[in-house]
Amino acid sequence: MIAEQIAQTVTSMPEPLRTLFTWIFSDAFVKAAVFPGALFSTVLGMFAVWYERKLLARVMLRVGPLHVGKVSGVLQLVADAIKFLAKELITPSGAIKPLFWTMPSIALILSLLLYAFLPFGAGWIIYPSEIGLLLFFAVLALSPVPILLAAYASGSKYPFIGLVRLALQLFSYEVPLFLALAGVVMMAGSFNIERIVKAQAVVPFIVPQVLGFLVFFVAALAESERVPFDIPTAESEIVFGWQTEYSGAHFVIIQLAAYEKTLALCILGALLYLGGWHGPPIPFLPDSVTAPFWVVLKALILFTVMVLIRGAYPRLTIDRVLDLGWRYLIPLSLINLLIVASILELQNFLYNLGW
Amino acid sequence: MAAQEGPLWFLWDPFILYVILVLLAPDVFYIVSWLIAPSRPSRVKRMAFESGQAPIRSAISTFPIEYFPYVIIYIAYAVVAVLVFFSLLAVIEVGVTPMTLMLLTVAAVVSVYVGTRLKVAGGKRG
Repeated sequence: MIAEQIAQTVTSMPEPLRTLFTWIFSDAFVKAAVFPGALFSTVLGMFAVWYERKLLARVMLRVGPLHVGKVSGVLQLVADAIKFLAKELITPSGAIKPLFWTMPSIALILSLLLYAFLPFGAGWIIYPSEIGLLLFFAVLALSPVPILLAAYASGSKYPFIGLVRLALQLFSYEVPLFLALAGVVMMAGSFNIERIVKAQAVVPFIVPQVLGFLVFFVAALAESERVPFDIPTAESEIVFGWQTEYSGAHFVIIQLAAYEKTLALCILGALLYLGGWHGPPIPFLPDSVTAPFWVVLKALILFTVMVLIRGAYPRLTIDRVLDLGWRYLIPLSLINLLIVASILELQNFLYNLGW
Repeated sequence: MAAQEGPLWFLWDPFILYVILVLLAPDVFYIVSWLIAPSRPSRVKRMAFESGQAPIRSAISTFPIEYFPYVIIYIAYAVVAVLVFFSLLAVIEVGVTPMTLMLLTVAAVVSVYVGTRLKVAGGKRG
């Protein structure tokens, strides 16, 4: 009834206004600008920073952000952002200026682009594709490049040390990440993330692929430079690693890019291993609302584990980081693939016997 | 809808619209910063950060060689990753065959063997 009235008012409007209204309520605008697009990803990123600071404070028996905003310092981040944006942008004299200025933006663009390939429910996706997981991985594999160039362009010694560490770390964790994702693709028989979620309607993939999930999670921690693997930006050793020369707006953009990448990996983990939008139905709410709710909830659970790990573990040394990647994670991910293939073969065998 | 065929047709495609918004995202920060941040550069501010010291020589120094063996291993495992990718396509196409199982077994056993044997920069443990 109300919907009909709204439709009538819209059709009775003059022409440019009518098109504008239909555009704002169209699929394109809602998906790209509101959910799961620009607005949602930025708000989620800001919430994650506040949540991490608050939870980390509790781990360390502190209170955390408190004074800005009415409840528990929720507006602390807005205040921080304004403070950073009001700082002078300094270009060091040894820097390669064009690279130094553009690379933070490209890092943020690549991180935000990851959200285009993540479904939040049946049809809740910006770019539906049969090879969605491959596209996600392609953008993810590109994301170290702007960071390496940014470090190189800084023309300073601490960023260069960070660059070397980052290159060694990221390139050694991309192979296990890919091999862990391969297990999921093999079990679901598709690169389409929506189909992978549908294949988990009965049993989420974390049950047959515990090894794969562990490899994925550790590799995701390393890819997003989270704490046990934060040697490229190790604050207490090499000032701030590859970010040392960046100040003001550059720094905000780099931090936002890092958090968006971490959260995209958390959401991917929830979709591929924790059953995505499958969950107990909530009364009085349609599927199109509960599906994104479950995905975001599961992703936030993964993020909570990441924060708790940050609170509990010290930083690894670089030889241990490389050792873990090459000597443990790759064999584990290949064993996981073998287990998946054996399960599929066993299913075939039982099916042919007539079970 | 008529508007979807006009000159602004790309605004009706979720992906293109999202890419446009994403390209605009960093500019918002720079514009706000340009509006409220001061700009008073000086020679001392523009020096590279070296904990208060004046920098000497170029920052681009030599790449440490002690982890170079990992680069060689990376090449070997990149080939394994390609192999896994093609066996994935084969599995999607025709299902798991005994040959796939054998290939994966060989890959897993070899990687475990390499993992137990590999000791790069091992003397630095403490």
